[in-house]
Amino acid sequence: MKKSLVNSLKSFGKLRLQINHASIIAFSALLLILFVAFTIRILPIRWEIPAGTVRLSEFDPYYQFSLTRYMVQNGLFSPYWPTPWVNTQQWYPQGLNMASSLPALPMTTAAIYSIISFIGINIDLMTFAAFVPAVIGALCSLVIYFVGKDMGGKPVGLLAALFLALSPSFLQRTSLGFYDTEILGVLSLLMFMFLFLRAIDVDRTLNSSIKYSIGAALAMAYFITAWGAAYFMLGLTVLFVFVLLLMKRYNQRLLLSYSITFGVALFVATKAPYISLSYLVSSAVIPVAGMFIVLCVSELLRHNPSAKTRLTLIVASLAVLVGGFVVLWQIGLLQNMAGKFISVLDPFLRSATPLINSVAEHRIAGWGNIYYELGIGVLFFLAGLYFTLRNPTNRNVFLLLFGLTSLYFGASMVRLLVLFAPAFSLLAAKGTLGILKPFYTLLKETPNIAIKTKRGLARVSKEYSGTAIFLVFLLLVTNLAFSPQNGGMPRVYGQAYTPVTISAASLPIAPSAPAEEWINMLSWTQHNLQATTVVCSWWDYGYWLSITGNVTTLADNATINATQIENIGFIFMANELQALKMLEKYNATYILVFITIGIGQSSTGTTYVANPGGFGDEGKWVWMARISGQARDRFIENKFIDSNSAWIDENQFGTSDNSTGAWIWNDKGKNSTIYKLMSWAKQTWCDEAGMGYIVPDQTGVQPTYFKQAYFAGLESSFIETAQKYGGIIPVVALYEIDWQKYYNDTSPTS
Amino acid sequence: MFPRVPDQHKAGKPLILNGLGVTYVLFTTVYLFLVYFSGFLKASNGVSAPLTLAVCVLFGGFMGLLDDWMDLKWRYKAFMPLIAALPLVYLAVEHGLRTSIALPFIGTIEFSGYYYFVIIPLIVMIVTNTVNQLGGLNGLETVCPAIILTGLMALSPSHLILMLGPLIFWLILAGFNLQGKIFVGNSGSFAIGMTVASFAIITDLKLPLLISIIPYVVNSSLILLTIFLTKKRASVSFDGEKLVSDHRRSLVTLITYRRPLTERQVVAIISLLTALFTAAAAAISLL
Repeated sequence: MKKSLVNSLKSFGKLRLQINHASIIAFSALLLILFVAFTIRILPIRWEIPAGTVRLSEFDPYYQFSLTRYMVQNGLFSPYWPTPWVNTQQWYPQGLNMASSLPALPMTTAAIYSIISFIGINIDLMTFAAFVPAVIGALCSLVIYFVGKDMGGKPVGLLAALFLALSPSFLQRTSLGFYDTEILGVLSLLMFMFLFLRAIDVDRTLNSSIKYSIGAALAMAYFITAWGAAYFMLGLTVLFVFVLLLMKRYNQRLLLSYSITFGVALFVATKAPYISLSYLVSSAVIPVAGMFIVLCVSELLRHNPSAKTRLTLIVASLAVLVGGFVVLWQIGLLQNMAGKFISVLDPFLRSATPLINSVAEHRIAGWGNIYYELGIGVLFFLAGLYFTLRNPTNRNVFLLLFGLTSLYFGASMVRLLVLFAPAFSLLAAKGTLGILKPFYTLLKETPNIAIKTKRGLARVSKEYSGTAIFLVFLLLVTNLAFSPQNGGMPRVYGQAYTPVTISAASLPIAPSAPAEEWINMLSWTQHNLQATTVVCSWWDYGYWLSITGNVTTLADNATINATQIENIGFIFMANELQALKMLEKYNATYILVFITIGIGQSSTGTTYVANPGGFGDEGKWVWMARISGQARDRFIENKFIDSNSAWIDENQFGTSDNSTGAWIWNDKGKNSTIYKLMSWAKQTWCDEAGMGYIVPDQTGVQPTYFKQAYFAGLESSFIETAQKYGGIIPVVALYEIDWQKYYNDTSPTS
Repeated sequence: MFPRVPDQHKAGKPLILNGLGVTYVLFTTVYLFLVYFSGFLKASNGVSAPLTLAVCVLFGGFMGLLDDWMDLKWRYKAFMPLIAALPLVYLAVEHGLRTSIALPFIGTIEFSGYYYFVIIPLIVMIVTNTVNQLGGLNGLETVCPAIILTGLMALSPSHLILMLGPLIFWLILAGFNLQGKIFVGNSGSFAIGMTVASFAIITDLKLPLLISIIPYVVNSSLILLTIFLTKKRASVSFDGEKLVSDHRRSLVTLITYRRPLTERQVVAIISLLTALFTAAAAAISLL
């Protein structure tokens, strides 16, 4: 009895986790990295605490938020089913079809939010949505740890997790409030990578491979429904499998895993809202099917058929591939990839499209952007490429292709540096460990063995290799702690410790307290205007005005209707009467401009002058001129303007001063609506907040048909504002359109 | 801690501590970090000169360590400094450094954008490798770079603080090296080469650098041309007291060609040559 009791107790001992010292350290390090990854992402909360609620950052997250709010209020499928939700407060008059939205992010958030609300946790939805990116960002670090662990052990996993946690471009898009599609995109990309590479691993059992393939399929399906850049991973995987075939690494496991993964992924994804069956015949997805045929042919060829059969197989498969492509093309099923995806492949296409090119995140990332982002980490990235190339296992081949292709896409479009971040983290981790490995090995080995086995090792002592490790550590320190390219503070910390865009009044500053200008304006429109009131503004502020300000807008970052954006550009660049003709078409009753003012001294040094700050519409009007200039002929044809007054670009409105770079408006420019709206807002600010100490660089021109409704930014004196914002002052100016005066002045009897 | 290697030009070939250059790398890094923290040299356009220099010196030292450890092949050694050129190119672009060079008798040559992307990497690559190639005698690899660095610092008093500490430390090492008590190793010679190149770029002293390193360029040209044309390497014989050579495949063998000289004499001649060119560089740029 006693013996059996002792044996029973001993058997309990077997249940105890077998954890060694190294595992505890690795686990602790991982926890610490995840903690850092999360906390650094929620630093902007410092500016949100005074308001008691957390706002979203940038502009697109407000779109995702409105979709999420609709799902929470009306059900997860409500935007799509039974009837598509058309939001008439956006893109007036036709509205914005919200059913044309990828569902994964809003649906995931709405589902989790509903669960936590059900269990009694009361939290504001916007606050909840604002925290989602930070949580996902930390989760990505966890997943990349497992990817890295598979590629080179725990050290590679840990370093990759650290690099990703502190990657500036990745942090920017996963920090508090950046509630946008790419956060789930990167998470599912990493999960797919982890699961698919395990699925094709021939050392695993068949059962295990099938499970991993299904997991990879679900990750890919989630990716497809989360972010448009899923095309990238589809293409990359096809390329990877193709390279494996070229390297004569075909095996049945590859065929099986590939078939299950993509079969299930595309089946599941096409069942999701918005992603329809037409996704299967888009030109980026067709190669998936093509590769499946190639894999099937490889399987048949594996059985060493006769030369005749071999030839027949190859010809037949080529005929199927080419024939299928031609048939799909001819019957119009083969859809072209959306313009923005093509423009990523060929970035020079964007330069011909001002609408795409006007967005900063769509610009080409020059070498300076990439160095600014990576610093001397480039050394470890290159070393990673070198070590990966030297040992081309399947995983390394994938990593190599991932690194090179994502670098290309990142260089093509600044925004896509977020895709490059995981590849960089993995390769830099491999590079760092690859460099350290020989020195570390020498540290661990006894000197005798070193001398006998390796000629080179005998030349240096153990301590000397310790110094080498220390130097690598110092190089990492200069990258992660004191980076020279950012004046000492690494970009990641500067980026992390900045308020969400609206709390910084859309300025690149980190003020001591939240900037209230935009918040006050949105609060004003919310409380003083109707939801049906049409407010015209440049498209950048559309989401803020319609979703938070609760008014109806003409355009926003969805940029679904280029013609309407051209018309808005026309409204701002035309003179008042011409602009009003267009505004009448949209039943607009208000028009909004956002200006920033930079305070400088006059040439005599006796007075202060309010100059254009460059961060508001005074910097964006150039795009208004270019975009509307593209539709010059249409405006003439539709009698909005005559050919003498029409323009092509900004050069018809003035010239740039060669010495100072300042813009000198000509008479036509000074007669434009945008000039009057901006200059009068600046004049008003100088008169009221400037307290007579500041004069505008140009005397303001009062608009004839636009009356001041509410100007946010006049409340504080210039001294307070200049101190708070470091010399750049934001003013959001809302004008009411004086239709009565316009009709009186333009009626035939007047 | 440091490995010992035989001093080939001493009777009995005593074992000497090698690789002390790494102490220079560590000292310089700490020093430059302190300069950065002290705020003596403020970041201009968001780019910090002390930290840029620290990264370059660290990289040079690390490269030297790799060479000490595994005898890097020349094709790697030649191109690896290009990585260290990146921070310098970025600094030059952001600080808007001059993209032209005014040469005596020739005039001003404008490189425009090529200065950043071609000339700076070339300067870093050439200076680092040529400094590394002129060594092998006690004091040679430490005294000559110290002379050039002193000249460059004299021409840029506003940046004196940047290299004052490291120069003093390097001179201490040079003192020991001259007495044959230590070798700085590749970690030292690559690091000091990188220091000279980086400092000249940061302080915009292209012309003085070009003139000062002429002895180095002559040495490397002799070595590389001989290897390329005859596939023979330079070597100098030591009879227990004096060095002598029967060929002219490097600066050292050129000086000792059929003319036996003590190690100290050879080092003195080359140092004098370097000092002359550095003085000429200073004179020309002050004119």
